[in-house]
Amino acid sequence: MRYVRRLMIAGLAVAVMFAIGCSADEPTPVPPTATSVPEPTATQVPTKAPEVQRTSSGVAPTATAIAAATSTAVAEATASAGEQATVVAEETATAASQAVEDVDDREFDARRGGVFRLLGSDPVTFDPALTTDSTSYDITLQLFSGLTRLTDDPNNPIVTDLAESFTVSSDGTVYRFVLREGLVFSDGSPLTAFDFKWSWERAALPETGSPIVKEFLGDIVGINDIVEGNATSAEGITVIDDLTLEVKIDSPKPYFIAKLTYPVTFVVNRDNVESGGETWTEAPIGSGPFVLKSYEIGVSMVLARNDNYWDTPAFLDEVHFILAGGSAMAMYENEEIHVTGIPSASYERVTDPNEQLSQEVVDVPAEFVTYYIGFNVEQAPFDDVHFRRALNYAVDKELIAEAVLNNRAKPAYGPIPPGFVGFNPDLEGLRFNAERAQEELAMSKYADPESLPRIVFTTPGTGGSPPTYLLAVADMWARTLGVEVEFQEVEWATFLQEIDNYRLQVFSLAWSPDYPDPHTFVDVLFRSDSSINQTQYSNAEVDALLDEATTEPDPARRVQLYQQAEQIIVNDAVWVPMWWGTEGKILVNRRVNGFRISPLGSYYLKDVWIEKQIDF
Amino acid sequence: MLIYISRRLLWTPVLLFVAGLFIFSLGSVAPGDPAELMAGQRADPEAIARIRDRLGLDDPFLVQYTRYAANALKGDFGESYRYRGRDVIELLGPKLLVSLELNIVSYVVTLLIGLPLGFWAAMRQGTWKDPTMTTFMLLVYALPVFFTAPFLILVFALWLDWIPVSGWSGMFSTHAILPAFTIGVPGAFVFMRYMRASTLDVLGQEYVRTAHGKGMGHMTVNRRHIARNALLPIVTILGFSLAGLFGGSLIVELIYGIPGVSRLALEAVFQRDYPVLTTLTLLGATMLAIANLVADIMYSLIDPRIRLRA
Repeated sequence: MRYVRRLMIAGLAVAVMFAIGCSADEPTPVPPTATSVPEPTATQVPTKAPEVQRTSSGVAPTATAIAAATSTAVAEATASAGEQATVVAEETATAASQAVEDVDDREFDARRGGVFRLLGSDPVTFDPALTTDSTSYDITLQLFSGLTRLTDDPNNPIVTDLAESFTVSSDGTVYRFVLREGLVFSDGSPLTAFDFKWSWERAALPETGSPIVKEFLGDIVGINDIVEGNATSAEGITVIDDLTLEVKIDSPKPYFIAKLTYPVTFVVNRDNVESGGETWTEAPIGSGPFVLKSYEIGVSMVLARNDNYWDTPAFLDEVHFILAGGSAMAMYENEEIHVTGIPSASYERVTDPNEQLSQEVVDVPAEFVTYYIGFNVEQAPFDDVHFRRALNYAVDKELIAEAVLNNRAKPAYGPIPPGFVGFNPDLEGLRFNAERAQEELAMSKYADPESLPRIVFTTPGTGGSPPTYLLAVADMWARTLGVEVEFQEVEWATFLQEIDNYRLQVFSLAWSPDYPDPHTFVDVLFRSDSSINQTQYSNAEVDALLDEATTEPDPARRVQLYQQAEQIIVNDAVWVPMWWGTEGKILVNRRVNGFRISPLGSYYLKDVWIEKQIDF
Repeated sequence: MLIYISRRLLWTPVLLFVAGLFIFSLGSVAPGDPAELMAGQRADPEAIARIRDRLGLDDPFLVQYTRYAANALKGDFGESYRYRGRDVIELLGPKLLVSLELNIVSYVVTLLIGLPLGFWAAMRQGTWKDPTMTTFMLLVYALPVFFTAPFLILVFALWLDWIPVSGWSGMFSTHAILPAFTIGVPGAFVFMRYMRASTLDVLGQEYVRTAHGKGMGHMTVNRRHIARNALLPIVTILGFSLAGLFGGSLIVELIYGIPGVSRLALEAVFQRDYPVLTTLTLLGATMLAIANLVADIMYSLIDPRIRLRA
């Protein structure tokens, strides 16, 4: 869901040739045109691409915190970590830590301790109920938790988290969750089924203002009444006892459990929320692997290990996010941060095997993301399916990937990316075929060039020219079909408003999933009554298939239904699917272990540990 | 004189009100909706409507501005849209301080380099040294910050490893060195030119010739008669530049990761955080108004004609 936006605040900086904020959570640029990628601002999306800025945007500080965040701090941190328990010489650290792996007593785990540093952006919110963007998502995942969580195992993408187990009634509408015993919040107070009921009802309250609660919890009987202000309690949520929660949803929806991995469904602490007022998130009490130790807007954010975490606690003592920006590559090379994306400008140098840095390059799995060109099917000339197909057939994505993007992009032919639940390897995409493109154009009502209205292609960005690959697309349209387009680039706020009001004719964007279910791609973007159906696409056959898929209990059959719908959507040429996420590379300090980025784009800080080093 | 100053003081709030109105009205005509940005792409229209309602965005523009102005008079500049529950002042305070520190230390670098160089060049007028130094400083002045900053980082932070790449821990820390030189050295060119011109002016004065004529040592003449008199006109220029001290230095802050006001301001633009933007504009306008006032008063003290006209 979250739009991937790469350029944040830093569009400007990029223009300035300086990739300021390749923040740590973002590997290499998907389609590598650094300056204009289909992603806009900082807050909005979990970016995996080099973010300039951002927004993104990130931002603000106090002097002391900053002091801590610098290079001296690195040395200091490692030194103190070393004092903590076992000191292991760098060369033997790995072997030693493996040796202790079997030792149960956590106090003696050599992996424990240390401070992990990375560049970050200011989260829009720490409140799980309000989280919709990737930056906030990554942080709330560290501070809070819910009944289930995502893993990066494609065969088992969802596992229980605070729930020990759950059962589903035979009609598929009643879920009974059994919580783990002895759960506590980070402050040590008990966490029970009551807390879940309260948290969910609180997320739905109009005064909470969650923009997405209907999407994720609206299936539960009674939640929508709360959202609309007609109730304060949902009859669909029943607390059987401290450990047992029963949830009734309005119809069987197999993807319901997948939605419970999203922060809006996480449990919050009632005392904390009620006593803290609007700013309760300044000292949030959660149940995730970390707690928020300090936060200064635009300066730094410090997470500390939650020793009350239900599972093995994190290894790291602290995680320091530097929010004031800076020159990511230089900071990395100066060991001021432990991880960074690789700016295009440094890519060749860093990956050169003769370069020492190349030993710190780590592969990142392909992210689940689809870049696309969207058509507003209600606006001429995109109201004609033949015309849209002609535009699809005219684009030689393989050529663009090779010639323009150095093969750092994977041509896409449908919305669902490879490796994602429901990906269809047999999907028949509208592959490049110049003749068919011209045939389709001839069949369309815009066959006569005179009848073609002016076409304005809008991309989000902060000024400058559109990404090179889009220029290549426009060139192919012009050469093969004689269709000329004009580009306009608008910054994210404007883009968002224009697209919400269906004022854009044709636009480029990226979509990444919220939960591992085809629903998050196909239903959310193409169902005729979806609130974020940006293309205004409406096809009764697709709607019927989606309806059936929504309640179909058999997983294999569901996937089939989604794939059928996807094929129709592709044939109707609502998009020109452009790229799927590709494997990327990031730099991770050689002493850092266990840093992984999942295909959903978030990182797992809990498993990160730092080898100690002795200063001579 | 008192009448003149008080009249100027009375005008200042009017000026600020108009400046605020201007920036506020920009907000109402600019595309992009803060509520939409806060809600995110997934939000349904009702959720956006609720946020608009909470922020009072649906009220007529003048109602919104009057409300803002009334609160601002009480010292309440509202809450940030982007950072829910945070007072704008609480948000801006620490950032302004950082930018102020950064600018002060850069300013000191500018003066310490620019003034002596200008003096030095003037004393060598007619030799090759003067044009060489002037040309060199012009080149430095012309180099874009996005070139010099990464270059300095490369040399002093990565190769020599003397100073950290990024961050901020006050104007007296090593963090301040690179940014201060990045901003300060190019700025020195301007002061060098002023100082050079002003020194040349003084050099032609009778009293300088007299001083030399009566057998005073060169150093004494330079110090007592030339440098001192040449600095006089510079002092008024200094007053003017004070207004800029609270302003950020955007690119420098971005590149060195300095948590100053620029980053926040830039983000506020992209996020349509109008309370933050309006407050920043008002602060800037206030600084300018004060600096102008100070300069005017200084002039009127020096030049009676201005006083009379007023």
